[in-house]
Amino acid sequence: MMNRLDHMPTLKIDGFRKIGFIYKKKKYYGVEGDTVATALYANGIRIFARSLKYHRPRGLYSLDGECSNTCMEVDNIPNVRCENTLLKEGMVIKEQNVKGSAENDMMSFIDKMDWMMPAGFYYNTMHKPASIWPIAMKQIRKAAGLGTLSPDFEMPGIYDEIFPTTDVCIIGGGPSGMMAAVAAAKKGLRVIIMEARPWLGGFFEYRSSQYKPGKDKGSQSLHDRALELDREVNALENIRVFTHTSMVGAYNNNLITGFQIGKESDLFDQRYIEIRAKSVVVATGCIERPLIFDNNERPGVMQIGCALRLANTYGLLPGQKAVFSIGHDLGLEAALELSSLGLNIELIADIREDGQNPELLQKLEDKNITLLKGWVACKANGKKRVKNVELSSIDGLASKTVSCDLIVASAGMTPVTGPVTIAQGKLKYDAHTGFFLADKLPEKIHVTGRLLGLDNPLSIETSGTIAGLQAALDCENCSIKEIGDIKKSLKNLPGPTRGTKLVTAPVKGRKSFICFDEDTTIKNIKQAIEKGFDVPELIKRFTSAGTGPGQGGIPGHNLPLYVAKYQALPDISIKPTTTRPPLVPTLLSTYAGTNHIMLKQTPMDKMQREDGGIFRNIGVWQRARYFSNDLTCKKEIENIRSNVGMLDASTLGKFRIHGPDALKALQRVFVSDMSKVQQGRMKYSAMCNDDGCVIDDGVITKLGENDYYFTTSTGRAGQTVEWIRYHTRYDKWNFHIVNLTDSMGVINLAGPNARKVLAKIVDMDISNEAFGFSEYKEFNIKDCIPVRAMRLGFVGELSYELHVPSSYMLSVWLMLKDAGKEFRIQNFGVEAQNVLRMEKCHIILGQESEQRTNLLDVGLEFLWDRTKADAKTIGAVALSQAEKDKDRFKLVGFKMEENGRAPHDGSLIVDEKVRGYVCTARDSFSLNEAVGMALVDGPLSKIGTRLEIYEDECNGKRIYGKVVEMPFYDPEGSRMKM
Amino acid sequence: MALTITCPVCGKRNGYEFKYGGEEKGPRPEEKDLNPQAWCEYVHMNKCVAGVQEEWWFHKDGCGSWFTILRDTTTNLEQEKKEAKK
Repeated sequence: MMNRLDHMPTLKIDGFRKIGFIYKKKKYYGVEGDTVATALYANGIRIFARSLKYHRPRGLYSLDGECSNTCMEVDNIPNVRCENTLLKEGMVIKEQNVKGSAENDMMSFIDKMDWMMPAGFYYNTMHKPASIWPIAMKQIRKAAGLGTLSPDFEMPGIYDEIFPTTDVCIIGGGPSGMMAAVAAAKKGLRVIIMEARPWLGGFFEYRSSQYKPGKDKGSQSLHDRALELDREVNALENIRVFTHTSMVGAYNNNLITGFQIGKESDLFDQRYIEIRAKSVVVATGCIERPLIFDNNERPGVMQIGCALRLANTYGLLPGQKAVFSIGHDLGLEAALELSSLGLNIELIADIREDGQNPELLQKLEDKNITLLKGWVACKANGKKRVKNVELSSIDGLASKTVSCDLIVASAGMTPVTGPVTIAQGKLKYDAHTGFFLADKLPEKIHVTGRLLGLDNPLSIETSGTIAGLQAALDCENCSIKEIGDIKKSLKNLPGPTRGTKLVTAPVKGRKSFICFDEDTTIKNIKQAIEKGFDVPELIKRFTSAGTGPGQGGIPGHNLPLYVAKYQALPDISIKPTTTRPPLVPTLLSTYAGTNHIMLKQTPMDKMQREDGGIFRNIGVWQRARYFSNDLTCKKEIENIRSNVGMLDASTLGKFRIHGPDALKALQRVFVSDMSKVQQGRMKYSAMCNDDGCVIDDGVITKLGENDYYFTTSTGRAGQTVEWIRYHTRYDKWNFHIVNLTDSMGVINLAGPNARKVLAKIVDMDISNEAFGFSEYKEFNIKDCIPVRAMRLGFVGELSYELHVPSSYMLSVWLMLKDAGKEFRIQNFGVEAQNVLRMEKCHIILGQESEQRTNLLDVGLEFLWDRTKADAKTIGAVALSQAEKDKDRFKLVGFKMEENGRAPHDGSLIVDEKVRGYVCTARDSFSLNEAVGMALVDGPLSKIGTRLEIYEDECNGKRIYGKVVEMPFYDPEGSRMKM
Repeated sequence: MALTITCPVCGKRNGYEFKYGGEEKGPRPEEKDLNPQAWCEYVHMNKCVAGVQEEWWFHKDGCGSWFTILRDTTTNLEQEKKEAKK
């Protein structure tokens, strides 16, 4: 392990706290604060991966994950961006896309075959004849690509999501972002800062050069200034800082999305963040624009920021002997800092002939560091890592070779404009800076700092304050005059500096890579242009430059510059390619979030599980479907027919509607004449939609003057309030509707012995004379538990539906269970109920109906009252039209010819074409026959018609049934009325 | 996803709290002498304007009220009622 530098204040590592990890089955150590990439670098690993297409060795290049060079498999998760991933104890790290190892990859010969693979070669070859493609594809997939994932892989980790709302959202926690945050927060606004790195500070944080403030500040380094701003931000309670948080998307109304990587102390690994802001400030600053020359991605070539931050942040000297080929003062500054840390600097080649900061030039001279102006690196030599570099003057006249193990290369800066473009802002090429600058910004979005082309620390900060105040103005917390004053002060500070425009050294470009992720060379770009592609957007697609995990971070700026230059047209406009979300590769599991189980449980859930209930998800609920492994439920059914059982029916929709206009609302939504609903009695009715299709059925009773209580089916309960309010929205009626579904539980006590059981726990006469069929009673059990009881007959036997406050459900249930002991009372589940009611031909909407089934089709026309046109009943118009149509499906009952052979639900009724389908069919134990209900074409609905039934997987063999009268069981209904 | 809706009771909220209820078409027609054509027009036909339309929304994860807003269907942005009504 390399010795760490340990004296700089900028360090973010704790050299004394070792962290062990496994790489290629061997144990290595990093230190606390390391990323996976820096820990590997500290252990002398220089080749992290092999490239997608040519299997070229790849190493550390930037430190912010702008390319896939350091994508590795970490703890079985492929394509982890190691530069952005903090090292954790025990991590297992593997290389990917290699045959052998990254150091010795057996596939590296492909690098010499590039002549076979011009731009778009797989569009042009391997498709004639078409049969070649599947074979070729298999081989290509084997050789190319990034990590692999097995289909049964399950993503480990905890994923969270939050949806904060704020006044101002600031993207980027560098100097201008922090200044903007402070300015907005001091205006009393709530501010959120998103910062991609694990700490605030951005462009200042890792630099020890002088900040150069006003006279009163004395000598302060940029790093100190970053800390000072950080403290200022943290002192303001209305600023919320999300570090290690990447912004990935921007949508209408300033909706900003991103994700945060959790610290060891956080309860999540990653968390999706969706911020709704009144105003947005984009302060993402710059990354470096890569310098293109031959072998410009050889391990040992890295960007200025990477070299400087390796030393200043992670205490790692990036090499021994370095050559710099740069185009920005940051390069000179880095050379000076690294030289004082012990790096031998052989030479600095600066693209610029002039314009360097004279102070830096003086310091270089003092240190005897050679600076060649107007020079550039042309070729890096060395098979697996840099051995020497060939340099040339920009015009290509003179050249020299210098041996080194590190090339710090960068053509200049490029602003991170991704957030601006995905927020639908427009960019324009600026000839002075050579940048794409924001031209037209959407409402309430501001850019600041280096995104404006600024470079001077004070200018950057002042622009931040302006952006913060502009955001405050959006929130109506700031005056225009105040902004004007500060704008004036910015005018007195240095403006944007002139930027370099050179993209590539004077080389042919066969091995000069413009995009690392996709192995796209300058030669490929030329090939695409020669094929006639003239717009960067198209060239990007044809050559796939910028479509890799780095999302255009490497080629995003160079591609349009190069394309413009190469076409040599007099009036060419330089157009950037479009950026789309996600700006940063985001895990699908991060988008998926916490994955809660969103199912409701009834008050009897626990008890029913203890009683052996087998549960199924039914709509939004979990319900006990069976109480034994016999899925035909023979015992449960026989028990109800001959004895007594209990069903938890708490999922039923339960509503109270009251108020002077309650009846009008009921008349609107129910098809029956609701004025006939009486106190003490239950009425069955149904609801239709505007097409007359039946959507719900239930029972209703009158509790008192203008006060009603009704039930809906389980599936409709969630929409009932919405439905009734929607269809009365113009009427300004005075009524109130309360959803009692969750506050009331329901017990269905059913079977011939039901009365005897219930009588034991109530103090009133419940004989058939006192409490008859279809009647409603309210009473208290033990003088305190209020119960609403109704005598209904869904399962076709004597039964009591008891509506009990949820909190008392368990008590009442236990009392009944206790009272029923002498009768051997049993639970029954949803499936037993389903068979029991099917034998009675009581329909369940959704089972005996589908989307197009209307009230008449299911034989419920007797519910429809035609005399209430004034009520404008929903569905009435459509029903009177549908009435004339004789070809509609009809619900019929059928009996199978062969006993014990009920068709599966959903089987088709056929002759030479499909004529209907089976809704529910079972082998009935009560009747000793296979019976069911089906929706069939009108002409087939006559009693006695033979039905031909086609089942899935029936091997062509049909089964037969016959249309019979409904219901099958107890047609007179005497059993439920006894 | 990015849509915001201003509920008359709860104020400006995220779009996912709401459920769409179709274009504003006026109250239900009188049933007397209503021909099938006219009824079908009322129930099923929409204008589908590219531009500002008045439409119904239900605050399902909020106060539970139905109300109309004006929304520009080309930008998916809500418009203030006063300025759009002019």
